[in-house]
Amino acid sequence: MLDIRDLTVRYNSMGRVTAAVNGISLSIEKGSFTGIVGESGSGKSTLMAALLGLLPQRTEITGEILYKGTDILRMSDSEMRDLRWKEISLVPQGAQNSFTPVMKIKRHIEEVLNVHSGKFGEDAEKEAARLLEDVGLDAGIKERYPHELSGGQKQRAAIALALACSPALLLADEPTTALDVIIQAEILELLSGLRKSKDLSIILVTHDLPLAAMVCDRLVVMKDGRMAESGTPHQLVNDPQHPHTKDLIREMFWQRNKKDG
Amino acid sequence: MDKKILQAAGLTVSFRSKKGTVHKAVINISLSLAPGEKLALVGGSGSGKTTLLRALVGVVKPEEGNVALFGKDLSILAASDLAKVRQRCGYVQQDPYGAIPPGLSALEAVCEPAVIAGIERNKEKIRDRAEALLAELGLRGDRILRSRAVSLSGGQRQRVQIARALMLSPDILLCDEPTSMQDASTRGEVIDVLEKYAASGTAMIFVTHDLVLAGHAAERIMVMKEGRLCEEGSSEQILNFPEDPYTVKLISSIPSFEKLAR
Repeated sequence: MLDIRDLTVRYNSMGRVTAAVNGISLSIEKGSFTGIVGESGSGKSTLMAALLGLLPQRTEITGEILYKGTDILRMSDSEMRDLRWKEISLVPQGAQNSFTPVMKIKRHIEEVLNVHSGKFGEDAEKEAARLLEDVGLDAGIKERYPHELSGGQKQRAAIALALACSPALLLADEPTTALDVIIQAEILELLSGLRKSKDLSIILVTHDLPLAAMVCDRLVVMKDGRMAESGTPHQLVNDPQHPHTKDLIREMFWQRNKKDG
Repeated sequence: MDKKILQAAGLTVSFRSKKGTVHKAVINISLSLAPGEKLALVGGSGSGKTTLLRALVGVVKPEEGNVALFGKDLSILAASDLAKVRQRCGYVQQDPYGAIPPGLSALEAVCEPAVIAGIERNKEKIRDRAEALLAELGLRGDRILRSRAVSLSGGQRQRVQIARALMLSPDILLCDEPTSMQDASTRGEVIDVLEKYAASGTAMIFVTHDLVLAGHAAERIMVMKEGRLCEEGSSEQILNFPEDPYTVKLISSIPSFEKLAR
């Protein structure tokens, strides 16, 4: 459904050019759960911004991003507006802090429904309640303000918001940072469940390889804007090829190595 | 008094909201630490780990129970004596953003504890030690050493903070999530440094979700839930044979390759 071909993104800051993404080619199959794993500065977030047409204006972009056959990079603003939320939707990094503090949860969701789905009034409110229930929250949450929710509840609400217009592809950028491990496991389980119940394809962006390995069916390891390696979690963990992947795996097995050596 | 570095008995810490409701963050916790002993505190958000750690160095006052550091009861210490006791404690805060003075460079921030303590007057020696500590933690080069906190990443700030906490070679180091902001490649360096100090006899308490850190660098693990002690035992025992249902859930929620590896 998504075909990234030789994508390069260069930021030009005061004459200094940095290639944040450097020749990435990647296909995302319908219904897949892909983990994009990389350390700070590896280009993960730039790649996500490119998929949503959200790169700053003076960025140099080459290559193609074909979504259902059409190149996202050459879409007009209005075509892009039709794509966001309805086809590709984002759970942004730090989503828990992205709510407007003075607006009830329902207004956040209703606003998206008003603008992008043309649903208003009671229709929109009912839909907001349904969306919250879909992510395992009580519908009554819609009457609350963001600060009245726990971190895990806010993350679920952020996922409900991203699902408001029934997208086909969900991008989740570090969706579990600042959550404790038990809540983290619950959010990952929620994403896995939604993938099946809503027929979603999901791209999970994270710096945490073991986390991605738990839920994804395919992992893409990025390093300095390039794709170091991709494969199933099983392949990467048991038979990593690229030196960077080997390093990451070794770091994660640190305890075991120390005991052996 | 015996040789315990730290002794806490029956600690209960409460917070009162403006509306007058009382929230007990830590409930009846006792623990003690011998020189060189390493303890990990694990538990979900809101389980009271950080509050406990703060109570152990007297930053928050317990409602019940008492804490003795190096045999001195914190509740009856004069401020000047408390300052002396604290000089022997290193504390790594969870949030490295607020923990480094904004006006100082990374190097100056690490030198600062030694300058304030006045133990070493030779500025060059202080500088050399700070540079060596930062280098061990993977922070080298003029550009980084001269950077102020704002231009460092979260992971870099966390390492500056660890260097700061180690500057006075503390007898006890209390670390609140010391690897939470590290990438895989720098996390190993941080664990190595902490381990090195632990091996040299520094007692340590870690609050952490990093089970590699907990399991390897600590001999004992305390699991906390809603302010109470839920389970306690050797790292080996807690990680491999947890008994309490909450501990079982906590351990199994932590992402690990073990399930995938051949």
